[in-house]
Amino acid sequence: MNQITPQKSSWTWEIKPESFWFQWQLPQLWSYRHLLLRIVRRDFLIHHQQTLLGPLWIVFQPMIILVIYLLIFEKAVGLSTDGLPPTLFYLSGIILWTLFSECFTGAAFTFIQNGTLFGKVYFPRLIIPLSSVLVNFIRFGIQFTIFFLLLLAINPSRIIDDPLRWITCLVFSTFVIAGLGLGLGLVFSILTAKYRDLVNVIHLIVRLFMFATPVIYPLSIVHPDVRRWVNLNPLCSVVELFRFGFLGEGTFTEFQVLYSFSCMVLLILTGSLLFNKFGNKLQDVT
Amino acid sequence: MGQAIIQVEKLSKLYSLGQVGTGSFRQDLKRWWLSTVQKKQDPFFLETQDSDTSHIWALRDISFEVKEGEVFGIIGRNGAGKSTLLKILSNIIRPTEGRIRGRGRINSLLEIGTGFHDELSGRENIYLNGYFLGMQRQEIKKKFDEIVDFSGVEKFLDTPVKRYSSGMYMRLAFAVAAHLEPDILIVDEVLAVGDADFQKKCLGKMHDVSSKQGRTILYVSHNLPSVINLCQRAMHLQNGKMADIGPSSRVVNQYLSKHQKKLHMQRWDNLSEAPGNNFIRIHFVELIPHLKNEDDPIDIRTPLTVRFKFWNLIAEQNICVGLHLFTLGRECIFDINTTPQEYSKGLVEGQCEIPGNFLNDGSYYFSLIFVKDTSVELFYFEECLSMEVEDYRINMNWYGKWSGYVRPRFPFRARQVAVEKEAVSGA
Repeated sequence: MNQITPQKSSWTWEIKPESFWFQWQLPQLWSYRHLLLRIVRRDFLIHHQQTLLGPLWIVFQPMIILVIYLLIFEKAVGLSTDGLPPTLFYLSGIILWTLFSECFTGAAFTFIQNGTLFGKVYFPRLIIPLSSVLVNFIRFGIQFTIFFLLLLAINPSRIIDDPLRWITCLVFSTFVIAGLGLGLGLVFSILTAKYRDLVNVIHLIVRLFMFATPVIYPLSIVHPDVRRWVNLNPLCSVVELFRFGFLGEGTFTEFQVLYSFSCMVLLILTGSLLFNKFGNKLQDVT
Repeated sequence: MGQAIIQVEKLSKLYSLGQVGTGSFRQDLKRWWLSTVQKKQDPFFLETQDSDTSHIWALRDISFEVKEGEVFGIIGRNGAGKSTLLKILSNIIRPTEGRIRGRGRINSLLEIGTGFHDELSGRENIYLNGYFLGMQRQEIKKKFDEIVDFSGVEKFLDTPVKRYSSGMYMRLAFAVAAHLEPDILIVDEVLAVGDADFQKKCLGKMHDVSSKQGRTILYVSHNLPSVINLCQRAMHLQNGKMADIGPSSRVVNQYLSKHQKKLHMQRWDNLSEAPGNNFIRIHFVELIPHLKNEDDPIDIRTPLTVRFKFWNLIAEQNICVGLHLFTLGRECIFDINTTPQEYSKGLVEGQCEIPGNFLNDGSYYFSLIFVKDTSVELFYFEECLSMEVEDYRINMNWYGKWSGYVRPRFPFRARQVAVEKEAVSGA
């Protein structure tokens, strides 16, 4: 009916049925960087619009949890904090855990929360989980400032004496924790879009996983036989590393830190491969 | 207009029906078990009775080319695959088979206001929406004032858009979309929303984009006059297949005459089966449109003839026949009748001429009424004929619904009677 004439000129793009595992499209991702920043901005604006305290909630939330933890675990249960000041001990656990869980859920609900948007316009889908990581990093930054000021008030020598130590620990552990959250979130974003049952599992994971991570207890009080299993959790060593860097106590080995790092790399790799391969096909399902 | 800018080759899209959304893990596991572990053929690809009903080809073997600077229309009924095609072209879903190649930047407007957030101000939303549509930072910055001007909401720029009226919201959303500058623009039913004024603005902008800026547009619409006027070529999709492609006026006309809901002829040769009663039986009713080309649809210019023939069963009845024309909304347009007259037993025929340039566009039906002695109803043959009258406009930049039940062309003129002196001296 319609004769296709042969084209000498080169086409600049092509749409084919197949999608590929290795389709990073980094230049394209870069060209959408302003969208990424806008989404970050949007998330901040809408979270704090029409609330009385506005962005102060970013600080209040961990502080309220901190008070509850202090009352329950410190005063009522009397859980050990490795001899560290309980306020700083719990606060460090809370802000690190928040960073992980928010990065994870943010990425995991990519397709479920943006289904209609994805059905209307094309942009690299990876922008959404990346923006969520960025938002959570900024929130973490604000919360960390509180932690830092508290530490400076309680024990300034920790910060002043050896700045290189805490800076290394801070950068490494937050990077690995956010990376683990993102990687796991990417894997789950694909799975949840296809199998909706897993949405319920995500919330469960976040709740239960916290108890497998030394957030409210130090790893040192865990029985050595059990510790081996707890250490399979890649979050363990980095949380301990963070505490070591700032508070001086932490139970981990170099091997465990390396293990956490490799887990993160592996999860990010698997997650983004799955995302590349199936991200586009999910539009038919969601 | 020269080279092809988009080339679509043997494009197909398969959808599975039924429980797609729920995505059962067990089902997938079973399929994997059967196909991979037991080395049986994947049930997904089995051509069984079952698979025929659970899968549907939303598109099948679509091939076409769009040339640079061309406005290309895509028409078809709901579910014909138009939206699927646009979604594949916009890179939102992937085809099952085939490929599309193209040159240059492509932007799609499948809806206006994509990514708008109610809580954010108009200013924030302009940026957000612009980025979602693929605009660059410099582009938005450069055009920001123009966009605000075009939308006419500058006073409310820092108000959350949830407080906007729906008109303002739409104007702002369209303003952003209107300032996109892609090489290829994909537009889906922008006209389906908004009032006549808004539609006029949309179409005017599209006209500018194509004629002045020379961009390529792929345009899907149910507003067929606009397709004829804006598009050079058009494609008719039917059940996922390409039914027709060619010059837009021909494609639209053939589509219309094929899909018009019409009843132009009813005939009964047997007296006992014919509708009626002991007084009157209908032999046939017929609507004859006077068209240049048999395939053309009836439009507002078309003269019509209604013919009918009936059996008069009682001798020396004084009968008058009335012809009623109704809109689908059951508003009567006219009620005319023949002069009352006595007829002998046997066949009686009659006809009514309805001139062209009289009815407005719309769906209509005819009823025939047989009255005795100008007061007693003998038989009322309701909805015996029906037709659709299509719109027709030339030299007109407005495509909204023309109001009124009739659209006569009475002598109506305006002329200048005096000229202001200043204007003369100025010229």
